[in-house]
Amino acid sequence: MKDRPFDFLEITQRQFGRIADQLGLEPAVRDLLRQPLREYHFSIPVRMSDGEVLIFRGTRIQHNDARGPTKGGIRFHPMQTVDNIRALAMLMTWKCAVVDLPLGGSMGGVACDPHDLSVLEQERLCRGWVRQIARDVGPEWDVPGPDLMTNTQHMLWMLDEYETIHGARRPGFITGKPVGLGGSLGRNEATGYGVMIAVREALKDLGMDPAATMASVQGFGNVAQHAIELYERMGGKVVCVSCWDQEDRTTYAYRKSEGIDLADLRSITNHFGEIDRREAESKGYERLPGGAWIEQDVDILVPAALENQISGENVAKISRRVKIIAEGANGPTTPEADASLSERGILVIPDLLANAGGFICSYFEQVQGNMNYYWPLEEVLGKVDVHVTDAYLAVSKVARTGKMDLRDAAYVIAVSRVAEACHERGWV
Amino acid sequence: MGDSSKSIDRLLHDLRERAKELNCLYEVQELLGNPATTIDEICQGIIEVIPPGWQYPDVCQAEIVHDGKAFRSPGFEKSPWVQSADIVVQDERVGRISVYYTEERPRSDEGPFLKEERKLINTIAEQLGFYILHEQLKQVFQEQLQSEGIRKSEWIVILDLLKRTDPDLLMRITRKMINYLGWSGIKEVEGLLERSSFAARPGGTLEENRPYQGLPGSGLLEITDEVFAVASKHLSREAILENIQKWSREERVRFLVDVLVNPNSSLSEISSAIERYHLLAGQGIELTGSRDRWFRVALIRRILSDQPHFIRVAKDYVGIDDFGDFMHRVIFPVGSHGKLGGKSAGLYLAAQILRQSNSGRELLQKVKTPKTWYMTSDSVFHFMSYNDLEDHIEQKYRDLAQVRQDYPYIIHVFRNSPLPPEMVKGLSLALDDFGDVPLIIRSSSLLEDQTGAAFAGKYKSLFIANKGTKDERLAALMDAITEVFASMFGPDPIEYRVEHGLIDSHEEMGILIQEVVGTRVGPYYLPAFAGLAFSNNEFRWSSRIRREDGLVRLVPGLGTRAVDRLSDDYPVLVALGQPSLRVNVTPDEILRYSPKKVDVINLETRSFETVDLRSMLRTLGERYPLSHQLVSLLEGDHLRRPRSWVVDFEKSDIVVTFDGLFSRTPFLRQLQTIMSVLQEALGYPVDIEFAHDGTDFYLLQCRSQSQGEDSSPPIIPRNLAAEEVVFTANRYVFNGHAADVSHIVYVDPQKYAGLESQQELLGVGRAIGRLNQALPRRRFILMGPGRWGSRGDIRLGVSVTYSDINNTALLIEIARKHKDYMPEPSFGTHFFQDLVEASIRYLPLYPDQPGVVFNESFLTSQANLLGDLLPDLPHLADVIRVIDVPGATGGRLLQVLMNGETQEAVAFLSDPATDIERAKTGGGPV
Repeated sequence: MKDRPFDFLEITQRQFGRIADQLGLEPAVRDLLRQPLREYHFSIPVRMSDGEVLIFRGTRIQHNDARGPTKGGIRFHPMQTVDNIRALAMLMTWKCAVVDLPLGGSMGGVACDPHDLSVLEQERLCRGWVRQIARDVGPEWDVPGPDLMTNTQHMLWMLDEYETIHGARRPGFITGKPVGLGGSLGRNEATGYGVMIAVREALKDLGMDPAATMASVQGFGNVAQHAIELYERMGGKVVCVSCWDQEDRTTYAYRKSEGIDLADLRSITNHFGEIDRREAESKGYERLPGGAWIEQDVDILVPAALENQISGENVAKISRRVKIIAEGANGPTTPEADASLSERGILVIPDLLANAGGFICSYFEQVQGNMNYYWPLEEVLGKVDVHVTDAYLAVSKVARTGKMDLRDAAYVIAVSRVAEACHERGWV
Repeated sequence: MGDSSKSIDRLLHDLRERAKELNCLYEVQELLGNPATTIDEICQGIIEVIPPGWQYPDVCQAEIVHDGKAFRSPGFEKSPWVQSADIVVQDERVGRISVYYTEERPRSDEGPFLKEERKLINTIAEQLGFYILHEQLKQVFQEQLQSEGIRKSEWIVILDLLKRTDPDLLMRITRKMINYLGWSGIKEVEGLLERSSFAARPGGTLEENRPYQGLPGSGLLEITDEVFAVASKHLSREAILENIQKWSREERVRFLVDVLVNPNSSLSEISSAIERYHLLAGQGIELTGSRDRWFRVALIRRILSDQPHFIRVAKDYVGIDDFGDFMHRVIFPVGSHGKLGGKSAGLYLAAQILRQSNSGRELLQKVKTPKTWYMTSDSVFHFMSYNDLEDHIEQKYRDLAQVRQDYPYIIHVFRNSPLPPEMVKGLSLALDDFGDVPLIIRSSSLLEDQTGAAFAGKYKSLFIANKGTKDERLAALMDAITEVFASMFGPDPIEYRVEHGLIDSHEEMGILIQEVVGTRVGPYYLPAFAGLAFSNNEFRWSSRIRREDGLVRLVPGLGTRAVDRLSDDYPVLVALGQPSLRVNVTPDEILRYSPKKVDVINLETRSFETVDLRSMLRTLGERYPLSHQLVSLLEGDHLRRPRSWVVDFEKSDIVVTFDGLFSRTPFLRQLQTIMSVLQEALGYPVDIEFAHDGTDFYLLQCRSQSQGEDSSPPIIPRNLAAEEVVFTANRYVFNGHAADVSHIVYVDPQKYAGLESQQELLGVGRAIGRLNQALPRRRFILMGPGRWGSRGDIRLGVSVTYSDINNTALLIEIARKHKDYMPEPSFGTHFFQDLVEASIRYLPLYPDQPGVVFNESFLTSQANLLGDLLPDLPHLADVIRVIDVPGATGGRLLQVLMNGETQEAVAFLSDPATDIERAKTGGGPV
């Protein structure tokens, strides 16, 4: 069987190489940043409920901590490959640097399927993971958080084990905790708000009045709902949202030309952001096929659902009126579509920047934990606003001066900031 | 003031009187309890203790007359102010106690006497009566022991008595003695045997056709004398007496023998025989082990079920007396020969098994069954003949389309036909017994009882609110019963019977009328939760779950939502043996697959309804039984059990997880014990239905799991030619089959891994989604690498959602060695519960394992239909192969048989399957 040509790490490294070329980085810097600084691979023995002991393979990869303690998720996945984790750790470094957080990037995980583990076994696994790595992580060194198939409960077990080992309460060790147990307020709102804060700044760049704009949103989950909330406060009007319909197992777009009523729609939406089809129709929403969200005659498109939603197949359907696409989801635009959008002069606010709000809030959770002092909601959201605004301005400036799109500009800023820090520290 | 002091005085006076009376009684007891005293001494003593116990001791005198003697207080004089009580021994008056006042006293309850004094004198007389009886028996016993002389002739006395009073009994005892002597090897009786037969058949010929003429008056006596003369030569007097006594005791239950031996005896005759037995049992009946067993088996066969396996098990758990307990709740037509039917019999036996089990006693003690009335299986025909509806019986032989068309009309006719009066009377009694609790009317048919027949849900079960006036309630009950009757002629059961070769089998339908387990919550009536439990788990979601770990489907409210496969909601699934290995792990999964609706009986509208669970809990959560054990709270993405007993149902984000029930109560342990006790006693895997009203666990149904449609293991054919087999599997195989598959969609694992870009990989998922719509529903199977629906690394499996695969008959994950690792199958975890609810089968294949056939060349060499179906995707033609099975094999189809018991699965090519049906239905345990 031939080697896999499609390789996440390789793509990530290639992308880095392209930016490094643009920046003209020296070979040593490239070499340093292409690979993680440190990797830990360890075995975690877990006694299962039937008395048998199983050995799980754990990983923690710290890509670069020149700008501060590394931060990154822990995922439980049966087919976890090391290369994947390496790539994700590198991406975390860039993500932190774009929004100028004093953090580096890391990633980790355990090769396992939680579906095969009882709750007790999962707890033992979490504690086992911490026991193996406790000396090489910490609020001042490397901060884990939840990722694929890990959740609040796992974070609390890990925190408890870490604190027990170190004999101190250090809520800043891990993020993703519930409010009241070291969690931060504003987590629900931060990502969605961040998207619209970036849009607000982009509109300023374009000299447009938000109150005179209209938007269409793909998805009606947490991110979409909060983005719409802030956008409506800015005076904008959302005319179309799309979402999954579990009963019909398909997506629908709901349209109302005079603008949707957010509160009203929320009242008929479940936890998964699925709008009740019958209720929506009875409330006068026009129900269209799911793909219709992208065809709307609006100024702003917000893909806030899944990856690869704007592709070569549907990019041509985007109305001529559209000026801004804000990537609320991760990777919603395929490279093919990206090229076409760039050609058409549509401003794409890249995911790295547009959905950084949640990530910033997670940083705030850690900061508050370190101080053991927790901010009110307004303070958290205010600080998110400052961070996203500053980040947008910086990226937009680089894009203008460097004559590149925002996505490239974001990467350029990220890589140069990290390279700079390594240089300043005298590493290279 | 004056009033209250007066009433206190009164109270004190009363209390003093009661104390005196009690004291008197104690003293009487003491006298009776002293073993050394004689009866005369006792009578004398009682005379002395009586006066102080009465209200006016100074003028009180007592007299006891017994055994011709009178005992009196000193200076006794008769007077008009007297109170007396008879001393009774064995229903015979043997004496009398009297209390006199010598002077007049104010009138009270009984002349001058208090009602408490009446009670006291009665009690004293009764106690004295018992004492006398006891003394007499003691005496008789001692006399018997002492005087051998009397005993010598005792059996002769008994025989003499019988000669005069009960020649029938004498005859039977004589024959028994002949048999006894014959078995003991005594030759002299041989001639007697013949003669006794001749004596029984006058004319001396044994013509079988001639009716039995009854016993002759003479001749018998001589034979008796001869037989017992022989007996006295060979047996001791004690042995003869003992035998005569034993046989005559046995003869006391002769009536049961008569009724059970006669095949024509009706249910009402059996019922009254049982009642008579029940009364006699109170006085003590000794049955020999073999006779007791005979009775039990005969009763089980007549009333419960004639299935041999059922009888074999039931005889150890159902006693003769047990029938007495429920026969008065059986409604049957005059002259009925019906039974209770499968469902009723199964439930009754299961309840008996649990009650008598020694393991897990404390867990099983609290298991209840709801109050139930039964209508026997022949009621339906009785009803039909009463209304001249017999013609409908031929309905089953009509064309199915006709059956379907006629069915609404039959329901209409049945509902408008009255039940026979004796059944109406029975139902009226039942309603008085039930009160106005909601009821469920269930079918309990004879075919439901039969091996392998998955009649689950084919006949109707109807809920009635049972509210309103008695007439309204009765009318609703009768409507429901006739509608259930009508369902015997519905298209579904008839189609099922045709398919399974049962159409010529005799079918009868009994009815169970059961109290619905539950409590009132606002306008609704519902149990806290209900569900189904299976001994064998045919839907395992992890390789760690064993088949015998079982499966529970649990829902809040009425169990209807656990019984039916739901398209829009999910029950909570638990593997009993591995309760902590859950299907849904992440909070999102738990939320997605948690129950959203609940079935209830609305007492106000008097109807069965499905209501939104969350909005119901929001308003009625506090009143919902066990609600704190059933719900978890969602805070952000954190799901947790309620921390305190105070849950803000109105404001909290509530998800039904049963978490508290599983972790804080012994519920799962209890259920596990129930399942293992039942399986062990019955000797086969079972499935049960249950409900919990918040206080108690109720068993609602119990049957063999093989009766479930999902579970019967097909027989794997052994003689397949190599070229017929497409693949085999021998790990993680679950019972099931995919018959007559016309298309195979094969995603080539190596070609898939070789795709260049993420876009192409995603494209495969989209193409599968389109094929899912284009191919015939449930007639194609999907085979692909690794984990279908994988999230995260798309290379591990084709990225699909449930809607992309929901029309397949079978989902196959191919686990091929890939470099140094072997992908683990996902067991369809990403949409596991969707697969379960849609009965889509799942199978992992391990082509690289030894002993496994994987006919890769068949899968890769056939013409690929993809180009015709999805002409816009030529670039995927290498990766996705759509095989038209009949086109490729000259009209043959693919059959996939999966047997979880032997852990074998095979997919082979055959002509459209007739033998599949056979394999499908055979092979299950009894």
